[in-house]
Amino acid sequence: MPEYTVLEHSHPRVDAWEKVTGQATYAADLHLPGMLACKLLTSPRSHARIVSIDTSRAEKLPGVRAVITGKDFPNTHFGSGGLKDRYIMARDEVYYIGEPVAAVAADDEMTAQEALELIRVEYQDLPAVVSPLDALKSGATVVHSDLPKFEGYGFAAGGPNVCTLLDADRGDVEQAFHEADHIFEDTFRSQGINQGFLEPMACAARVEPNGRLTVWASTQGPYQVRAQLAGVLGMTISNVKVIPMELGGGFGAKLRLAFEAFPALLAIKSGHPVKLVNTREEAFTMNGPRLPTHIHLKTAVKDGRITAREAHSVFDVGAYLGAGPNSGVGHALGAYHIPNFKLRSYGVYTNKLYVGSYRASGVADMTFAVESHMDIIAHKLGVDPLDFRTINAVKEGDQAVGGARTPRNGLQETIQAVKERLGLPKKLTSDNPNEARGVGVALCEWRSGSGPSTASISVNEDGTVSLLTGSVDISGSDTSLAQIAAEALGVKMEQVIVAERDTDLAPFTGPSGGSRIIYSQGKAVQMAAEDTRKKLIALAAERLKLSPEALSCAGGRVYVQDNPPQGFTLGQLARQSLTSKGGPIIGTAALSSMPYTPVFCTHAAEVVVDKGTGQVRVTRYLQAQDVGVAINPMSVEGQLEGGVVQGIGRALTEEIQWDPNTGKVRNPSLATYLMPLAVDMPQVENILIRVPSPDGPFGARAVAEPPGFGPPAAIANAIYDAVGVRIKDLPLSPERVLAALQGKDTEIKMDVEALRRAEAGRG
Amino acid sequence: MKKPLQITVNGEIRQFFAEPYCSLLDALRDELLLTGTKKGCDEGDCGACTVLLNGQAVTSCLVLAHSAHDSQVTTVEGLADHQKLHPVQQAFVDHGGLQCGFCTPGLIMSAVGLLQENPNPTEEEVRFAIGGNLCRCTGYNKVVEAILAAAQAMQNKLKA
Ligand code: FES
Ligand code: FES
Repeated sequence: MPEYTVLEHSHPRVDAWEKVTGQATYAADLHLPGMLACKLLTSPRSHARIVSIDTSRAEKLPGVRAVITGKDFPNTHFGSGGLKDRYIMARDEVYYIGEPVAAVAADDEMTAQEALELIRVEYQDLPAVVSPLDALKSGATVVHSDLPKFEGYGFAAGGPNVCTLLDADRGDVEQAFHEADHIFEDTFRSQGINQGFLEPMACAARVEPNGRLTVWASTQGPYQVRAQLAGVLGMTISNVKVIPMELGGGFGAKLRLAFEAFPALLAIKSGHPVKLVNTREEAFTMNGPRLPTHIHLKTAVKDGRITAREAHSVFDVGAYLGAGPNSGVGHALGAYHIPNFKLRSYGVYTNKLYVGSYRASGVADMTFAVESHMDIIAHKLGVDPLDFRTINAVKEGDQAVGGARTPRNGLQETIQAVKERLGLPKKLTSDNPNEARGVGVALCEWRSGSGPSTASISVNEDGTVSLLTGSVDISGSDTSLAQIAAEALGVKMEQVIVAERDTDLAPFTGPSGGSRIIYSQGKAVQMAAEDTRKKLIALAAERLKLSPEALSCAGGRVYVQDNPPQGFTLGQLARQSLTSKGGPIIGTAALSSMPYTPVFCTHAAEVVVDKGTGQVRVTRYLQAQDVGVAINPMSVEGQLEGGVVQGIGRALTEEIQWDPNTGKVRNPSLATYLMPLAVDMPQVENILIRVPSPDGPFGARAVAEPPGFGPPAAIANAIYDAVGVRIKDLPLSPERVLAALQGKDTEIKMDVEALRRAEAGRG
Repeated sequence: MKKPLQITVNGEIRQFFAEPYCSLLDALRDELLLTGTKKGCDEGDCGACTVLLNGQAVTSCLVLAHSAHDSQVTTVEGLADHQKLHPVQQAFVDHGGLQCGFCTPGLIMSAVGLLQENPNPTEEEVRFAIGGNLCRCTGYNKVVEAILAAAQAMQNKLKA
């Protein structure tokens, strides 16, 4: 590893001081003069026509300043991807319980709440469908009868509720199945998951004297919010300024426009600033979560190697298409090289809260399926599960699903590291006859996120540098970006100022999500730093009448290589630049995409299963991840640990419970939706593998998404190792484990034949 | 109808008006504009609103402001001594005990409450003491490390 002065150091977060003293300002902390409170009226019906809405009584309540309904917005659809399938507020129909129908701005929350109760909405019920497998059946209740007319719709196959059908094919799958020694088929199900961000969604809006709209948002994607908000309000983008506030956790939930349009329109209507703060219940009933998936995998094995995979994945997307279905094709192979494949992924509408993003939605579900399936195959073949994975693992040069070549990576190193640390293979035993212990592994794969990234660095007269990017800080990314800038420019961390930003100040930048900040945004910062360095050297060369090649930039100075005392500090150069030909020094960089760089990790869980209750306890959790280079090891470990604990929650306790008839969320509170607490969790162990990526800044790879993928499969595999039962349904609850121990049929049923038939009939 | 009350917050006597149903959390945030204390649920389930009430860590969303009349309240804003952080705050900074920071004020107050009662806790006792504080970002490893380190630092200071 090269010698770094700033990278690979656990520098404290640049925003730590504000956060530990309570000074960091989150959107809910805003108090603007004259600010009103906003409350939302939502649909109590799963699917209904809105016959009429009468807001007159609410409007007359003293303290109420404005009331809006869907008809107050321009009649435009929008969507979270290519498919434009929704209104920002219901107009003629509601599609799920919890869909916003009206909003009130009043002097305080109590008055706004009171006003909601005075709004009369007359509904006419329509049939609803809640189960995605029911929605797939022919003759099923139709969620959106106008689906074929939606802009961006192009999948007239699979049934009336299929809003997207993605596919990927390679080689001759049928031939491979024909020639296989063994064929394995399994169906898995994953549950609905709430992102669990601690900060409920909040936002505020104000109309400025010049007519522009300022929006304060808790968001990972200020430019996405700006564009979508302008769209639904019928404004031009340039008339909207989004100020991203401190982000109290998002994990994908805050990537796009959320509720900002409501206070915005109320601010326009009332002439006052308006703030909306979600309750915790609303975070469960109105914020797009991860929705259930059903995944069927069929795999051919010949001579111990996987030769073909057929996958059918059904992603429940709720009322509107969002994240998920892409992974049904993109991640159906897992971390393995499989020459022949046929991959199908369905997005299916149901009358439930629409799907949102959550830490690589879909991939986590695919990983549970693929890694459980791998274990099942290994056991049936009688080979060691880790060896079977090692043999089939992706190698440098292999083609990924989309055709990109796999570059150099540390997958094998992660496997080896886990094997050595745990002494695998091994059999765990328990002295307690009521308990059994087991160990399970899982490999995870992801790719480093790409997308538009920009950065600029200006040099101040005192030798500090100001770094401006459009990205929102997420899990310490500002600190890591500052470290990249400091390393590339040869200055100390203390010399880097990370500028406050908003959409007026910084150029367009992709959202902070999908593990893209360090890899892509970090690359832009590194390039901007190099541009800055070049300009500093050029100025010094001009002043010293030397060639630039004779100079170096390090230690906060530009100096003559052969005579280091001769040179200038950055502060001197910045001051000289004010009167130089080129003017003040500013380095910039921009990029739109980055090459394919996968990220791999190996996870292992040790569990204790109580044979009497089915209770599973994780006693040890180990992960080894190839991070390329650890820009900030403390921050990297924090990502890995946080991700694993989210994954353990998904594995064992978390599940959104829907009423099977109405789709109403039945457990919308933190007392009934069970996220991991400190008392439940093992001390997670991390091993950082450093195989530099060819393209990332200083060789860095993405970090944040994959740690959450592994736990459900690693734990399910450990349960199998402990007690010999296979749970294919999440969470791995005591009830399910016990049912399986009692020999009950716990298999997931999905009619894959019907999907194959529907696909064959596709024109 | 708002009624007057008086609470000593971070050593200062504060007199203000609050509705009878107003929680201590809302009073701190909306009446006194001390927004460091966070509202994650308003139902007693997340711990983000933890403050010290007469030296005890409590979830301020479950305390009525008027029931805290004439009490002593310490919030996260009251811990640092000008530019000098409280040892628990410093340990959170040094050990990476925070990410998004939304749970952090509550966790820090729980930790301060714990260390007042039990200056030398075991890892298990720390995990138990913060058992009512949800954190979605960190996975708790570094939070626990930070609190143990703070205990150590405070002990060392006492000895010195
Ligand atoms: S806000 Fe008080 S416990 Fe969550
Ligand atoms: S740091 Fe984000 S919830 Fe704890």
